[in-house]
Amino acid sequence: MTRGIWTRETVVLMLLAAYLPLALFWLWYGGTEAVQRLGLAALVLAFWNLAFLLARAQPISLAMAVTALAIAMLAPEGLGMFHLILGISFGAVAGELVFGGWGRNVVSPATVALSFLGFGFSGYPWPEFLAPVAWAAIPAALIGVAMGAMPAALVASAVVAAVAAVASGLLPPPALPAAGVVLVLLVADPVTSATTLLGRWLNGALYVGLVTLFALGWHGAAPVQYAVAAALLTSLAAPVLDEMALALWYAKRRRRHGQN
Amino acid sequence: MIDFSFRSGLTLRIPSPSPGPPEKAEVITEEAGLRASAGRAPRVSLDVEEGALVPQGATVARLRKSPDVCFVAPMPARVARIGLLQGHRLSEIVLFHEAGGDFIRHDTSQACTAPGLRRLMQTAGVWQWLGRRPFGGMPKPDDQPGAIFVMATDTTPLAPDPRRAIAGQEEAFGRGLHALTTLTDGPVFVCQQPGPALFDGAQSGGRLRTVNSGPRHPQGAPGLRVHAHFPATIARSVWDIHAEDVAQLGTLIETGYLPMRRLVSVGGAALREGRLVRTQPGADLRGLTHRIVQPGPHIVLSGSRLDGHAARWLAPRHRQVTVLPRPAAGKPPHWLVAALTRSAMPKPVIPNAALDQAFGAALPAAAFVRALGSGDDDSAMKMGLLSLLEEDVALADYVLGGDAQLPEILRAMLDRIRTEFAA
Repeated sequence: MTRGIWTRETVVLMLLAAYLPLALFWLWYGGTEAVQRLGLAALVLAFWNLAFLLARAQPISLAMAVTALAIAMLAPEGLGMFHLILGISFGAVAGELVFGGWGRNVVSPATVALSFLGFGFSGYPWPEFLAPVAWAAIPAALIGVAMGAMPAALVASAVVAAVAAVASGLLPPPALPAAGVVLVLLVADPVTSATTLLGRWLNGALYVGLVTLFALGWHGAAPVQYAVAAALLTSLAAPVLDEMALALWYAKRRRRHGQN
Repeated sequence: MIDFSFRSGLTLRIPSPSPGPPEKAEVITEEAGLRASAGRAPRVSLDVEEGALVPQGATVARLRKSPDVCFVAPMPARVARIGLLQGHRLSEIVLFHEAGGDFIRHDTSQACTAPGLRRLMQTAGVWQWLGRRPFGGMPKPDDQPGAIFVMATDTTPLAPDPRRAIAGQEEAFGRGLHALTTLTDGPVFVCQQPGPALFDGAQSGGRLRTVNSGPRHPQGAPGLRVHAHFPATIARSVWDIHAEDVAQLGTLIETGYLPMRRLVSVGGAALREGRLVRTQPGADLRGLTHRIVQPGPHIVLSGSRLDGHAARWLAPRHRQVTVLPRPAAGKPPHWLVAALTRSAMPKPVIPNAALDQAFGAALPAAAFVRALGSGDDDSAMKMGLLSLLEEDVALADYVLGGDAQLPEILRAMLDRIRTEFAA
């Protein structure tokens, strides 16, 4: 019998399709080193997914490819292999697998791993994106939104907020490439972002607001560093934003239909 | 302001051959089966024995707890077989068509009063065509609805157009509508696609209201209309009924005869040609699909591709027959593949745009599906669970590839809430 296609793995495939331009440009300009990092991240994630498959019968998801790409692109440079493996393992296990696999997690595993690496081993330089790679975030966002895998309202509100922030002179333009790539890779993740319409608008605006705040007040931090920190705080706040939107919706319905 | 929710929903492309020329508008199948809606087997007491001749409209069985609610013969017939489960629960009663048989005329002298109309609807067999929310099923005989929804739109893929079904019966439809207003103190909503008015609402005291809905599924699903305009609660139930049934109720009140015909569409990928016929409720699905099915194994569903179930007889509230090719039983997957893909828990639902549209942007879809999946009764009730039935989440379940098992979870949750509040 025929069935609809929007299972978990279809959404992952759509996300991968969206990230394809970003990944290709990054690999093209990153060379062998980029391939090595991506391979290492994928290997570690595959190992932990297999371990949870055998121990807890959690089916493997292709989402680990998305996670691997995000970690490989955004992790601080110059970290040793041991540090990377430790950070990725922590992110995968504590961020995703103990909750029951991709789709049940609260924070994206890549965000957890990157925050762990960034705060745990400070002093290593954060990556900077070449212009072509940063521009590739735009087709990535467009494809993701068009495929319905990324929340359109979130991306739209982030863009609107960023334009407003840059126009008012608060957000320095050099922060934009990193903020854009992090928006696409970490913030627009459908699982850990807000799910209601109003929540998504707030979510995107909150992310840009935090990036602006960090850009102004966090001296000495690299753009990727504060974008990742903003992504972590935003995804932690996403359930609260959803609750706010729902409370508003309940109140509106109660006013219209009486007690329900 | 542009109303985006009007455009929301999905257009499904369910493969089906186009309906052939309507050379035979009315098809009365040789056999018909009396049955309850899917998943229900009410206790009944029988009025006839096997082999008896019954005129159209005669009572064949009645509910044991409320003997006024009757199952009636949809055509002049001979009772062929009575299938009862343990405890006198109705499985099916099979009738053979007897050409040239008699018709029962119901007494309509009391139809202008509310109790009289209720009794007429129950004895004439209209009661089964009513749906009740919350919890589903037909209403209790003394149930007082807060509102009644008349569904003059049906956005389910391949569904027959209700406007076409009641074409030529506008007067009877209006009479049925005015009769429905006596059953409730609340409003009666007529849900339709934008178009010419279906009734004359002048003498209804403003209780007859028109609700326009969009062309895409699930805009015309009763549950979402109820949710948007008059949410059902535990204390305040809401009924829904199809526009064609209202027109027949109007005819019943006027003449005393209930015309047991409904416009049914026959579609699906395993057909050579589609069909749009008037047939009796409880019609034999094989009789309806005879000679238009492609050779090869197939499944006949009563209802649409989304919410139908394999059956022999048309269910009381269904207006669609779907014939699908039966997939060949393939080889079982390799043990390693099976172990990698089979999970202890159902796979989680990832929020996406298709899911939002599958609920017609009427409720926070992802939050609702998460509340369903985690068994959070309170949140689900706040979001409008009590207005919904399986058929309303069938589209979302289809879109999600059946992984989430939404109709089953929804039914389990409704049953749990019912037992909690009954205690």
